[in-house]
Amino acid sequence: MSTFRYLMRDTFRLLFRHWGMSLLTLFSISAVFFLLGASSLLSLNARHLLDNVEGQLTVQAYLKAGTDLAAARDKVQSFGNIVQITSVTPDEALERLKARLGNRAEVVTLLGDNPLPPTLEIRVERASHVPPLARRLVAMAEVDDVVYAGGLAEKLSRLSSFVGRLSMAILVIAIVAAVMVLFNTVRMAVYSRRDEIHVMLQVGATQTYVALPFVLQGMLLGMAGAALAALTLLKGYASAVDVLASTMPFLQFLRDGALLARLGVVLVGAGISLGWIASWLAVVRFIRAAMKPL
Amino acid sequence: MDIRISGVTKIFEGDIVALDGVYLSVGAGEFVYLVGTTGSGKTTLLRVISREVLPTKGQVLVGEFDLRRIRYNDLAYYRRDLGIVFQDFRLLPHLTVFENVAFILEAMGVPPKEVRDRSGFILERVGMWHRRFLRPPQLSGGEQQRVAIARAIVNAPAILLADEPTGNLDPRTSDEIVQLLTSINASGTTVIMATHNQYLVDAYRHRVVEVHRGRIIRDEPQGRYMADVDL
Ligand SMILES: Nc1ncnc2c1ncn2[C@@H]1O[C@H](COP(=O)(O)OP(=O)(O)OP(=O)(O)O)[C@@H](O)[C@H]1O
Ligand SMILES: [Mg+2]
Repeated sequence: MSTFRYLMRDTFRLLFRHWGMSLLTLFSISAVFFLLGASSLLSLNARHLLDNVEGQLTVQAYLKAGTDLAAARDKVQSFGNIVQITSVTPDEALERLKARLGNRAEVVTLLGDNPLPPTLEIRVERASHVPPLARRLVAMAEVDDVVYAGGLAEKLSRLSSFVGRLSMAILVIAIVAAVMVLFNTVRMAVYSRRDEIHVMLQVGATQTYVALPFVLQGMLLGMAGAALAALTLLKGYASAVDVLASTMPFLQFLRDGALLARLGVVLVGAGISLGWIASWLAVVRFIRAAMKPL
Repeated sequence: MDIRISGVTKIFEGDIVALDGVYLSVGAGEFVYLVGTTGSGKTTLLRVISREVLPTKGQVLVGEFDLRRIRYNDLAYYRRDLGIVFQDFRLLPHLTVFENVAFILEAMGVPPKEVRDRSGFILERVGMWHRRFLRPPQLSGGEQQRVAIARAIVNAPAILLADEPTGNLDPRTSDEIVQLLTSINASGTTVIMATHNQYLVDAYRHRVVEVHRGRIIRDEPQGRYMADVDL
């Protein structure tokens, strides 16, 4: 127990004796983790967007004005692979549009007569069912135009995989940068106390006792840096999403609080682990060398 | 703890033979002077015992520890049975006198109150209590020497290795240091002291082991610095 007290005291001495170094490390680590967290958010959002689009396996068939919705619906029903068909009359479509626009609904009145066509919304089971259905729909005389998300989903999935690869690269760079910064800081602390370390080992301190304050120093710096980054990032993200969502209401941003909290926890956990690894690397070889007999 | 050194040879890089087939046994509670000219191998012999130097050949047994085979963790525990006064003190300049002594006990996991009591007691004993708040650079050579001794004995070691603990000290302070070591020895600690000081060896008579070119050429109980042997 006493050992634990000495350990805590020595760790905080290390942190505060070279406080300038500690601050510098703290900010470098948070910058690195901020970058890491931002890229994760970007790729999470890309995935989220894609999921949303894929979730809507719906083909919209705009019919020519005056078409009998019920008859068209029965015809389409016979195509197979169809989960559900919803008929939307022009009036219903207008109501929906108004609802989507919310407090800007009055712009709809600028449209004058309702220009919206009668529509069939056809849900299929899988994305692969969409193109053949679309082709058959286009061939129908009643159908004016067919809109489906297939092309968009494809584009988004390409974007998402690009963002995924980008954030992978950032992840690797961030890990290397964080480890190097922490390693360097701890090694300087070790170096500045090398005489002490030698004497301690010569008088019977165990390697663990000598190493632990340095390892804890690295872990605390890693943790604090990551926590700082996570806090700024998640706070910044919340306000950024609010702003973006009001200017681009058609985009669905990720707002899953639990997932974001988990991202924060992962960042802090990564900070602690990288701190541990980096400082262990920095101190263990020095101690081994100091213990080695001539 | 008994020390048994048998057939120890140490050849440093560059074919420097520092020790050459040394046999030496020191029983628990003995006081031994290691004498010999500069470069004869005294420091190396002490460092073999503290396992800072690994022999090229030969065996070193101290108590139940075989220093050739000892593992790193056991080495830490072995060294807690040793006290070492280095030829160059090796005090930590940014710690106070008190902290220089106390941190040894802390490293051994001794509770804070006991650390304070024992460090204070030892500093009293070497006459450095009144200097406890100073740092080593603020001390005279003799005072640093005393702190180095205090640090070496604060863990109540079974064996005290002192490498020229009176180097550069005036005769009176040297006397005090040897008296101090003698009283430590009287409380049961084995003392091995390397020295060039003829006066001390002749005045405070103990076993004398003379090293010459890495070999032991003389080993006398209650010996003199230069016995009647002529080299
Ligand atoms: N680390 C080392 N590397 C190479 N040679 C060494 C090393 N340490 C000691 N030696 C050599 O071993 C020999 C014995 O040295 P040692 O320090 O044991 O002598 P000593 O008896 O303590 O001398 P002194 O009385 O001057 O302290 C010397 O020739 C020295 O150069
Ligand atoms: Mg020497």
